Amino acid sequence: MKKGYVQVTDSYERIIHWSLAISCLLLCLTGLGMMFHTFNFVSYLFGGMHNMKFVHNFTGIVFFIALLLAIRMWWREAGVFVLPEDMEWVKVAGGYLWHVDNVPETGKYNPGQKAFYLAVVIFGVVMVITGFIMWFPAKFPVGLVRWMYPLHALGFLVIFAFFFVHLYLGTIGNPGTVQAMFSGWMDKKVLTMLHPKWVKEMEHEGKLIAWGEQKKDDTHGHHA
Amino acid sequence: MSKPELVKLIDTTLCTACRGCQVACKQWNEMPGLRTKQFGSYQNPPDLQWNTWTLIRFQEYEDAQGNFDWIFRKDGCMHCTDAACVKVCPSGSLYYTPMKTVGLDHDKCIGCKECVAACPFHIPKYDERTDKVYKCDLCYTRIRESLAPACVKSCPTGALTIGNKDEMIKKAYARVAQLGGDANVYGDKFVGGTHVLYVLKHKPEVYEELPASPKVPLSVIVWKDLLKPLSLVAAGAAAAGVFLHYITHGPKTPGPEGQDKKGEE
Repeated sequence: MKKGYVQVTDSYERIIHWSLAISCLLLCLTGLGMMFHTFNFVSYLFGGMHNMKFVHNFTGIVFFIALLLAIRMWWREAGVFVLPEDMEWVKVAGGYLWHVDNVPETGKYNPGQKAFYLAVVIFGVVMVITGFIMWFPAKFPVGLVRWMYPLHALGFLVIFAFFFVHLYLGTIGNPGTVQAMFSGWMDKKVLTMLHPKWVKEMEHEGKLIAWGEQKKDDTHGHHA
Repeated sequence: MSKPELVKLIDTTLCTACRGCQVACKQWNEMPGLRTKQFGSYQNPPDLQWNTWTLIRFQEYEDAQGNFDWIFRKDGCMHCTDAACVKVCPSGSLYYTPMKTVGLDHDKCIGCKECVAACPFHIPKYDERTDKVYKCDLCYTRIRESLAPACVKSCPTGALTIGNKDEMIKKAYARVAQLGGDANVYGDKFVGGTHVLYVLKHKPEVYEELPASPKVPLSVIVWKDLLKPLSLVAAGAAAAGVFLHYITHGPKTPGPEGQDKKGEE
């Protein structure tokens, strides 16, 4: 860390994020290995297809728990659109697609982030429900079970495509932001560019923790 | 030498329900007998099981005129040309044999039960103990050596016969013409044609547990032919999209060197 850096996430937030992310990626990998015969070779990493099925199913439980915690933690900040300011941001696509002189300010998370969050929440829940029924198909009517598979595939389609966009926007697409998910500290200049309103709010409430300055409030951010 | 495409013909009008086929099937495939339930019928066990790959179904039927018929139907895998089970199997455990029947390699089966839901005839059965699925493979170990399947071998009345596809279809239609009435051939007109054909005395709707017009479920088609390839297309498009974004629009950076000047306040 160095001067000019501010704390943007706490460790609890980062643990939930990585629990969700790693379980999700492991599910994508093992799922791909079962969905496509071409990717059956992935199963060598897990001791064969039969074992990989168990890795997939039980990782699903980890994903489910992480998803519930992520919903509880971020829903109020990222799950609800605030009008009209979010609409203004959407109209200029947040300045991500063409040059915009002044991107409208939004709350802590911009509508793009919210849309991605909601996609993960909605399709994450779809994956958990369909996956559970696919795990115990004998307990459900066959007409229902049959449609769980395409729904599970649809969820994979959305989440896997989302992964690439998320990876890009969280790393090289927005330089300086990836540290939010590792150390939890970010350059205040970058943060102010991306989340001006949030910075102002934190400063106003005296919750902004800057490197080298005395902590004013240890519980900024999230209350589990 | 290429193997001929085989079809097994089940002429239900010749079946006497001796159940020799049921026993011969268990014997050849080394499937154990399990405790069963008497439910008021000679049909035993009540349904196909992981250890029972073929079953004579007993059905008491009375038509509109009050004519009674005791129907015997040998149930089991139909060996579809367009098999939903093969389409959904993630491990390649279910496969088409050179004789175009549907084989099942138990070493590869992972017990996901996707075939159980997909099969329009409700044939594959799951065994919790081995965590694998079982079904008739038309005695693959016999037919590949040009021997008749155990059930056909055991049949004393000629209700079960096997042979080249074209000949068996011809034989089935000749028998139906001979029988007249509602008699019909069941199996050659759906799921690409099955490799097990029935000669039925009554319309297919009459028979219990026999779908009148079976097809690969729509859910399987949406899943395997549409969403499965589309998922990779979407991932590729997303990856290409962000790369294009990076080399055209570029990343967001603060300060004068950045493309976006916002955030200077």
